[in-house]
Amino acid sequence: MKLNIEGLLVYFPYDYIYPEQYSYMLELKRTLDAKGHGVLEMPSGTGKTISLLSLIIAYQRAFPLEVTKLIYCSRTVPEIEKVIEELRKLMEFYSKETGESNNFLALALSSRKNLCIHPEILHANIVVYSYHYLLDPKIADLVSKELAKKSVVVFDEAHNIDNVCIDSMSVNITRRTLDRCQNNVDTLQNTIHKIKETDAAKLREEYRRLVEGLKEANVARETDIYLANPVLPDEILQEAVPGTIRTAEHFVGFLRRFLEYLKSRLRVQHVVQESAPQFLKDIFDKVCIDRKPLRFCAERLQSLLRTLEIADIADFSAVTLISNFATLVSTYSQGFTIIIEPFEDRTPTIANPVLHFSCMDPSIAIKPVFQRFQSVIITSGTLSPLDIYPRILDFRPVTMASFTMTLARTCLCPLIVGRGNDQVALSSKFETREDFAVIRNYGNLLLEMSAIVPDGIVAFFTSYVYMENIVASWYEQGILENIQRNKLIFIETQDAAETSMALEKYQEACENGRGAILLSVARGKVSEGIDFVHHFGRAVIMFGVPYVYTQSRILKARLEYLRDQFQIRENDFLTFDAMRHAAQCVGRAIRGKTDYGLMIFADKRYARADKRGKLPRWIQEHINDGSLNLTVDEAVQLAKHFLRQMAQPFRQEDQLGLSLLTLEQLQSEEMLQKITQIAHQT
Amino acid sequence: MDEEPERAKRWEGGYERTWEVLKEDESGSLKATVEEILFQSKRKRVIESHEQVRLGMMRHLYVVIDCSRSMEDQDLKPNRLTSTLKLMEAFVDEYFDQNPISQVCLHRNPKKHIAALKKAVDTVCVGEPSLYNSLNQALQSLKHMPGHTSREILIILSSLTTCDPANIYELIKTLKSLKVRVSVIGLSAEVRVCTVLTRETGGLYHVILDESHFKELLMMHVKPPPASSSSECSLIRMGFPQHTVAALTDQDAKPSFSMSHLDSSSGPGLSLGGYFCPQCHAKYTELPVECKVCGLTLVSAPHLARSFHHLFPLQAFVESPLEELQGDRYCQACQGELKDKSIFTCTSCHSVFCVECDVFIHDTLHCCPCCIHSQVTPL
Repeated sequence: MKLNIEGLLVYFPYDYIYPEQYSYMLELKRTLDAKGHGVLEMPSGTGKTISLLSLIIAYQRAFPLEVTKLIYCSRTVPEIEKVIEELRKLMEFYSKETGESNNFLALALSSRKNLCIHPEILHANIVVYSYHYLLDPKIADLVSKELAKKSVVVFDEAHNIDNVCIDSMSVNITRRTLDRCQNNVDTLQNTIHKIKETDAAKLREEYRRLVEGLKEANVARETDIYLANPVLPDEILQEAVPGTIRTAEHFVGFLRRFLEYLKSRLRVQHVVQESAPQFLKDIFDKVCIDRKPLRFCAERLQSLLRTLEIADIADFSAVTLISNFATLVSTYSQGFTIIIEPFEDRTPTIANPVLHFSCMDPSIAIKPVFQRFQSVIITSGTLSPLDIYPRILDFRPVTMASFTMTLARTCLCPLIVGRGNDQVALSSKFETREDFAVIRNYGNLLLEMSAIVPDGIVAFFTSYVYMENIVASWYEQGILENIQRNKLIFIETQDAAETSMALEKYQEACENGRGAILLSVARGKVSEGIDFVHHFGRAVIMFGVPYVYTQSRILKARLEYLRDQFQIRENDFLTFDAMRHAAQCVGRAIRGKTDYGLMIFADKRYARADKRGKLPRWIQEHINDGSLNLTVDEAVQLAKHFLRQMAQPFRQEDQLGLSLLTLEQLQSEEMLQKITQIAHQT
Repeated sequence: MDEEPERAKRWEGGYERTWEVLKEDESGSLKATVEEILFQSKRKRVIESHEQVRLGMMRHLYVVIDCSRSMEDQDLKPNRLTSTLKLMEAFVDEYFDQNPISQVCLHRNPKKHIAALKKAVDTVCVGEPSLYNSLNQALQSLKHMPGHTSREILIILSSLTTCDPANIYELIKTLKSLKVRVSVIGLSAEVRVCTVLTRETGGLYHVILDESHFKELLMMHVKPPPASSSSECSLIRMGFPQHTVAALTDQDAKPSFSMSHLDSSSGPGLSLGGYFCPQCHAKYTELPVECKVCGLTLVSAPHLARSFHHLFPLQAFVESPLEELQGDRYCQACQGELKDKSIFTCTSCHSVFCVECDVFIHDTLHCCPCCIHSQVTPL
């Protein structure tokens, strides 16, 4: 159908539209008009992708000078493929409606096997690829730096974007890394020797270039051709590479010295935590390495690798990592911390020293993106509370909106189970974690649910360790045996192959009527990437609140930083982080309007307003007083009732006019009024 | 750990929010919409059955009742099994009333079924059911049925799990190729495999809301399903024996055994009168029956006539909003006041009925009482 969105003609390739899609497009258009950034939350399964694509492409066609390119970033390869599929549909619709063959070029960069860095990317109207291509400085340099300023950048499924940013800027160095780095340096040295004998002129040419400084890069940045690389700060470009590392041999010697220093640092017996300036002082005292050459390390190495004409850069990943670390540590005095741990917490007897150079400020990595592109849209099914994202990513959005799901029948049923049948409070909090009564009641909950929920149930625990303990305890108490009468049990493990096997068998058991339970872990592979549509997930049970492991030093450092820099209280951030993961987990079950599922939060802490209030609005509005702090029995009664209601025949006609609209229905005055209420501005 | 004792008393079970059924709808649209949808489907059923379709009048229906552990559940009173069996008795009665020349589980005698059902009340429900095994067993007998009859299986499934010895999807293919129509009534929730099973074989799949809904769903299966165009047509030999009772004055009359009592030890043994097979003169006390001696189908004319109404159904009544009605707001059938928002008008005599009577007239009476009345009065 053809829609008129505040004067913009939008081609929408379906005959029906959800009211919230219309509302979403409206907000999106306003964001583009204002040339600003936006944060939009809309539940999964309500057609976010197609709304985004149709509107932005229509906008591109209407104002070709305002918006030249759409950069669509998604998380995983299957998601990228889904986007491409929708895009194809839209394009077919365009050529059918307008009669002209489309001159739009879309490009998807998904997996390595179809990776292409052909210059054509510059002319494509739509680019679809993974986050990392834009955020990770190592890859962004290769792929994204030439994208035009007047692009619209969309981050889909962006609820974890801060962690992606942090990961892309953090460096972990182990003994293995250093050994490989040592080999790299040896290879470099040999190559330099060889080249010196055959083609000394080449090295001289490089030297000359370095004396002149990195002028070219500077010119490029000023003329705004490239996306800024956060690893390479502006100041460096103004200066020439310092003399100490200008010749190739000197640089290699410098690297060796740096490497030896790192090795010595890893020989610690106790945990060390220090800031970047402390680290710099220490390195100067011990091995007389100045801050300045360190800052040029990354650029110097790139130049050397280019000069030596080394084809396979992947072999030199270790030395690249170290040199990036050198540049980062000497560039940013704030936002990073260095933690050296001699062993892992779980295995204090096995020496496995790690140097964590961890980024605590996600805004560092994403800053160039916000600065460069005129509109950046951050969207996901779970972005609540909306206001925290602009704070931790340090940007100022022009629109922030949360959309609900209009439903012809209430197809989600969130229940907060706070007590067992014996009135024991259910909670995964640390003090009661080992409590026998809590574990038994959790087992009882799963057992009762396995008897009344058809087909598939997915249960999430807060961590692998917790899951292992509970399952072992259930086994001893004979609960597992009872559950297995109703359903088969599968368990997610840390091994990817094992997990995908378990998933496959789980789906088979759901398919042929035996029924199955998948026990998995919040923040695991299952909770993030895998959808449990229809019968694959009729209920999701969240055992406990999935707080991140708070004893980790990296996290502690980050919390401290957030408190000092952004005035976000530790507790607020932890709760926010736990709730977004809980929402992700329970959101796995509802993937559309015809789908239905139970969402069971088994922890009494969910009933508190500070937790509940951080759930996405489309879940929150279905939690009423009657579904708080239930006992297992009460939850079973409610669930039974819900499942029977949902099993009644449900046809498309029942949705029409309520949650599914034709063009005529959309244009009615009353409906437009309703639509304006869907978007919840914050 | 001690196992908790099995819940035996009503008051030990989870409490039910019976008041919520009566809840006025203000917060969510759930209740109203679901009821609206149900109302629509009730109407739809009536309307649907009035298209001129060929119906399979000779039905072979297998009813499979799940007797697994979950039948002990007390959400139907007093428990699922007892409640199901009670409704099944009514179903069997109704079934033979509407489809006299059909069979359930290859028996024609409703009394036998009811006796069997009564016995089953005491069954202890244990273990898990197997959809595969039950379907397979039903299939073994159904596949020998002649092509002009319908082959149906109705499963009443309480459990949400099925433990199958082999891949059920293979069996579904077989069922489909043999044109067996499988319908399922679920007692707890929607199970995927049943959805596929019924969709593939062209049956119905419903899940009950409560006991009255359960009854409604069961009664839905009383109506014969449309015959598939591919089923064979053939003529069937039938005998129409007359009931003869030897006059008491006839001294020669001797009481005799009925053939149908041969295999059952109970029941009245000797009687004077009965139906005599026109072909072999074997005596039966009840119709319809298949002659044990010569295999002839014995029916009475009214039986056949009752099956016939499926072919010439009553026209659907016209639905209109209550406000448009002029004059008295009384249903012509039950004389009750019309309260629902829509009323139903007979197309030939323009009498007005409420929705309950509309369903009753179409499901049970099969003729409009007012039309009959106006035909009778001139006489």
